Amino acid sequence: MKFKSPPMPSAEMDMTPMMDLTFQLISFFMMVTNFDQTQVDERVRLPTDALAKPPEMKIEHELVVNIGFKRAKDGSRLDPLPFVFLPGEELRVPDYKQRLLQEARIYQAKSVKLADVTIVVRADADVPTGQVQEFIKLSQDAKFEKFALRAQQPTE
Amino acid sequence: MKIKQQEPASLQQQTTPLIDVTFQLLTFFMFTLKIVGPEGDFNINMPPPGAGAAKSEVLPDIKVRLVAAADGGLASLRLGERQLGNGPGAFQTLNNEILKLIGRENSARSKEIEVEIDADYQLNFDFVVKAIGACTGRMSPDGKTIIRYVEKIKFAPPKQNPDA
Repeated sequence: MKFKSPPMPSAEMDMTPMMDLTFQLISFFMMVTNFDQTQVDERVRLPTDALAKPPEMKIEHELVVNIGFKRAKDGSRLDPLPFVFLPGEELRVPDYKQRLLQEARIYQAKSVKLADVTIVVRADADVPTGQVQEFIKLSQDAKFEKFALRAQQPTE
Repeated sequence: MKIKQQEPASLQQQTTPLIDVTFQLLTFFMFTLKIVGPEGDFNINMPPPGAGAAKSEVLPDIKVRLVAAADGGLASLRLGERQLGNGPGAFQTLNNEILKLIGRENSARSKEIEVEIDADYQLNFDFVVKAIGACTGRMSPDGKTIIRYVEKIKFAPPKQNPDA
């Protein structure tokens, strides 16, 4: 007599719930990711003010500059003077002049008027005001005219 | 003769490449995510030195002076010649005084009047932003719109670094 062997149970895992969950996670990250904030440097602790509301209209030509301190893990300053944070390097405020002139040349090459470019100053709350003013002076020397001081809304 | 039937080809789709790409995307978004609170800007009026020369004879309408303590804190806040103190209430007083000077909220004067912020070199930037905020206006009771007091704000010429 011939016996028919029962079919082997499938060894393949059911991937559907995992895929569902993964797509949910991707959707979440896509929603919360803001590519406009790629120029933001987390080392800068912005000053807070209730009036610091996100602008309703996007600035067409903006140059974001992060000025802050190198800090230890406990928040203490490693250097008493602030730096301008750039991707992969840090410069002292007066040393940023050459970069400003370079940026000005790039905008001019793109036929963008420097009067239409807004320099967004993301300065740390503890930076001496004189350093921010020195930076603004350097920017004026490079023929930039419009400035915006960035602040953060206080957390509840 | 018994003909053995061929097993039907599996109709199940190969999901491995899809899962690979999905995980790549998930990893990308996880690493690029920056959790940043809402940020806003205060626009300041800083004409180039050449353009400012013509206006130098005209005194600014409102002058706000911020004097720094040795540690960068606020030693005193003055509106014109009037002392407003240095505590947390000083900026609220400044806000109230600015409203008195412009007359009423969103008045025509708020577009014309100019505030000059004159801060010491060593003063922490946080206090300057608070002063700019106090001069700019206040939030509406619903917390959605800004009721503007003054639109034009500028800095006084920078002071010398006392440590230089």
